[in-house]
Amino acid sequence: MLIDLRKCIGCNTCAVACKSENNVPLSVWRSWVKRVEKGTYPHAKEYFLPIVCNNCAKPICVTVCPVKASIQRPDGIVYVDPHRCIGCRYCMASCPYGVRHINPLTKIVEKCFWCHHRVDAGLEPACVLACPTGAILFGDRNEPQSQIAKALAENAVQVIKAELGTDPQTYYIGLDQDVVDTKETEKD
Amino acid sequence: MESQLLYNITHQEAFGIFIAVYFYLTGLSAGSFILSTLAYGFGMERYKSLGRVGVVLATVLLIIAPLFLLLHIGVPHRAWHLFVYLNFESPITWGSFLLILYPINCIIYGYFMFKEKKKQTRLFGLLGIPLAISVHGYTGFILAFGKARALWNTALMPILFLVSAIVSGIALMILVCIVKDRFFSKLKKIDYPLLENLGKMLAWVIVFDLFLVGCDILVLLISHSEAQEVAHLLLYGSFFPLFLIVENLLGKILPFILLVVPRFRNLVTIIIASLLVIIGIFFMRYVVVVGGESIPLI
Repeated sequence: MLIDLRKCIGCNTCAVACKSENNVPLSVWRSWVKRVEKGTYPHAKEYFLPIVCNNCAKPICVTVCPVKASIQRPDGIVYVDPHRCIGCRYCMASCPYGVRHINPLTKIVEKCFWCHHRVDAGLEPACVLACPTGAILFGDRNEPQSQIAKALAENAVQVIKAELGTDPQTYYIGLDQDVVDTKETEKD
Repeated sequence: MESQLLYNITHQEAFGIFIAVYFYLTGLSAGSFILSTLAYGFGMERYKSLGRVGVVLATVLLIIAPLFLLLHIGVPHRAWHLFVYLNFESPITWGSFLLILYPINCIIYGYFMFKEKKKQTRLFGLLGIPLAISVHGYTGFILAFGKARALWNTALMPILFLVSAIVSGIALMILVCIVKDRFFSKLKKIDYPLLENLGKMLAWVIVFDLFLVGCDILVLLISHSEAQEVAHLLLYGSFFPLFLIVENLLGKILPFILLVVPRFRNLVTIIIASLLVIIGIFFMRYVVVVGGESIPLI
């Protein structure tokens, strides 16, 4: 997946489409848009960072899951088997991106799996389809003729927390380090 | 560049208090077991009276501890999945077997001890030591494999957990011995020289524990940005009272002084020191688990 942040207008349509497509309960989100403001008026700008699961090529969540409920498919998508997960939350504790949550109704862990049910049917993930500016590209980057392979080759791309060696597969164009690093600060 | 967060999702707590309690109880169990083997495994006759107390404590604590895991997991009736769908890369899978083998070994060891069969007791005592070390060491690995968290993701974690387990085990043993001798023995007489000996042992294990905690914090302070952030959280952030005051000052330094300075050392101060240590190590588990995951990730 490739998200072109230059095109993102922060409308949250991706997050809502995800909720609707995957029946995500209230209070939890599988994808969302982080919003950061940089600078002070009149030289201020708002930045948006849509976050989905990175579906890492070396996923720590799959390594630590004690019951093999977190599974990496041959095509790279990492998903949770809802019938096997015991809700121990070890994957949530070890995921550096915080993209996993406990479903408050079923008490099992869920995450973004790039809508693999749609991908298997030949469709695009819900967020990709819903994005009004076409900022999200989805496809097989090993297919040289695919749109995403071309875009990855022609642009300077960045991933979040590359240093952790998880080999994230969600790439961004125009990712600003400050936007990643700005976090909730502790209240004094 | 000045930047301000306008909107983000707050993450759910992954581990939390039940896991901290679980780590605390397995630590107490492993510590008690190791003390009980001093006499029955290694033949140090001076510690003979610790043998039975130790094995009973180790077994009881390790039967209670996994109940907290069942409270923690979302779907407890699927706990049997742990024994069917195995992932040997996951420390929790190692643990599900250790949590079965270790109490069984404790029960066999205790059985032979109460039957006074020396040879078999020794065998199962010595077998139990690697099990006791693993059963607590693996909990350190659980955190160390949590690579998202700077406070957990260190190779020091298993050894730090083991040493603090022994610290809390000795302190618990001192208290239980006093209660047992005072109220449940035939003579109603406290074996003070033994307590003094255990107290000194406790003091020097505390020093090693402090050394490890110091190493951990010093390296965090100069490591990557999230490591620095968590070190600051512990040293002067919201976890400062629990980490510096309760865990280290009241839970380690004060008991150490009470135990090593001959002028201070008497039955009362040994009891106070042991109580402080037991409380301090609980907060150590709490600070590591809850403090470690309280830094926002993204």
